[in-house]
Amino acid sequence: MDVFEPKIIGFLCNWCSYAGADLAGVSRLQYPPNFRAIRLMCTGRIDPTFVFKALAEGADGVLIAGCHPGDCHYTEGNLNAARRYHLMMKVLEDFGVERGRVRLEWISAAEGPLFAKVIRDFTEIVRALGPFNQAAESGAGDTVCAS
Amino acid sequence: MRKLRLASYWASACGGCDVAILDTNEHILDIAAVADIVFWPVAVDFKYSDVEAYDDRSIDVCLFHGAVRNSENEHLARLLRQKSEVLVAFGSCAVSGGIPALANFKRREDILNRVYRESPSTENPESVLPQPHFTAGDITLDLPDFYRRVYALDDIVPVDYYLPGCPPTPERIWEVFEVIVSGQLPPAGSTVGVADHSLCHECSRVKKEKKVKTFYRPHEIIPDRENCLLEQGLICLGPVTRGGCGARCIAANMACRGCYGPMPGIIDQGAKFISTLGSIIDEDRVEDAGAVIDRIVDPAGTFFRFSMAKSLLKGARQP
Amino acid sequence: MKRVTIDPITRLEGHGKIEIFLNDDGSVEDVYFQIPELRGFEKFVEGRPIEEVPRIVTRICGV
Ligand code: SF4
Ligand code: SF4
Ligand code: FES
Repeated sequence: MDVFEPKIIGFLCNWCSYAGADLAGVSRLQYPPNFRAIRLMCTGRIDPTFVFKALAEGADGVLIAGCHPGDCHYTEGNLNAARRYHLMMKVLEDFGVERGRVRLEWISAAEGPLFAKVIRDFTEIVRALGPFNQAAESGAGDTVCAS
Repeated sequence: MRKLRLASYWASACGGCDVAILDTNEHILDIAAVADIVFWPVAVDFKYSDVEAYDDRSIDVCLFHGAVRNSENEHLARLLRQKSEVLVAFGSCAVSGGIPALANFKRREDILNRVYRESPSTENPESVLPQPHFTAGDITLDLPDFYRRVYALDDIVPVDYYLPGCPPTPERIWEVFEVIVSGQLPPAGSTVGVADHSLCHECSRVKKEKKVKTFYRPHEIIPDRENCLLEQGLICLGPVTRGGCGARCIAANMACRGCYGPMPGIIDQGAKFISTLGSIIDEDRVEDAGAVIDRIVDPAGTFFRFSMAKSLLKGARQP
Repeated sequence: MKRVTIDPITRLEGHGKIEIFLNDDGSVEDVYFQIPELRGFEKFVEGRPIEEVPRIVTRICGV
């Protein structure tokens, strides 16, 4: 049987988590190739629209990762991100998006091993959830409208 | 000058848009002076068969209200597109699904069951649901198919102009009529009858630093009429909503629900509002901020109040 | 049997359709009144806070 290979999009802050991903790379730590990173200057740049769009356009899981609280290079960008995340998760629940598909993590530039572990764990969680099926959207099936 | 041939149709709508047209008051006579109504179910007795008999593109302007909820709505959307030179998505339902698209949080089957089987005012001992086809002897009757979700007009056919609002205000409607009559139409695809600034910009309340300690439900406080409602802790969609209505709800001391649609450049009004709130909550400890956020009741149904059909996710994924 | 269809019914709020069936001598045999619309407010107000309901159900009929 084919194993489901989820597509996972990650929004990583330039200063901590992207550097952490780099460190995981140069340290030759293994993690699954399902993860595609998008680098932003800070998690404070992450508009929930990015997450909605990723899910709407084929991602099965979305990771947001940035500096630990107190370490954000723009002082409180990551606090904005944390507040948005909390509210966004409440909204996504009403959209029928399982909690496990969207995740927030604090990963510093020194935490290469943590980065690799987060990706490994998250990939397995999303794999177990299965595809984020757009066809399950309540409207699909109105073939008359599909033209 | 030849008179304009004007049509106005409601699909999945409440008729409020038609009444808003009538609310242009004496201007309705000016409209009648320059336009012949060729189809307008709320006011004039034309039948679908009349519209079918019209030449293609022979209706100069069709104002289409209402979302597309069923196959009849879709059929009329296609028919009126074919018969009209200019098709206007008129009102929030046609533009972005509007209130009917709140149904996109629910399953089709659950809606039908609730309405026809469970609702306390319904008597349905045989537990029948509406059927698209019904035969009795040699008689066959048809009902439209109830779709699995609600669509905006431009999900079905190309739309020339968008005039949002639930309903659009009579002032904006009249301005748009003046533009139509002048023939100086803006580029196709434009949103008309709106401002380019946010609702907050046209709201006359005093705005200070947007920092909110906690949120309230309307019965928990009496908001003052001078200061920004959002700063007083009431969920107001003004920051992500396009101006144009003249801040109608705010004038009634009620917070905005976003019926004029997103500011230009915003892809998803509801998702953007999550962003807004995330940046104005005045609480840095993550757990405490969570407790503040948990005071917001029904964020999805509030932030996506009028925009569900055009939201990126379109509707809830149902198990 | 002759069939007379009135579609749509006009000058009222909402959608309606009438089908009249006449028998051979021209008298009415059967009449069906159909409401070809449904939005489902009964269902989609569920989960909305009570204070929001007046702002939602006003869109049942705007006439
Ligand atoms: S948030 Fe609402 S009350 Fe405050 S300025 Fe904007 S529109 Fe006005
Ligand atoms: S204040 Fe908001 S909800 Fe009220 S009419 Fe204006 S745009 Fe619509
Ligand atoms: S710079 Fe890393 S989260 Fe702000």
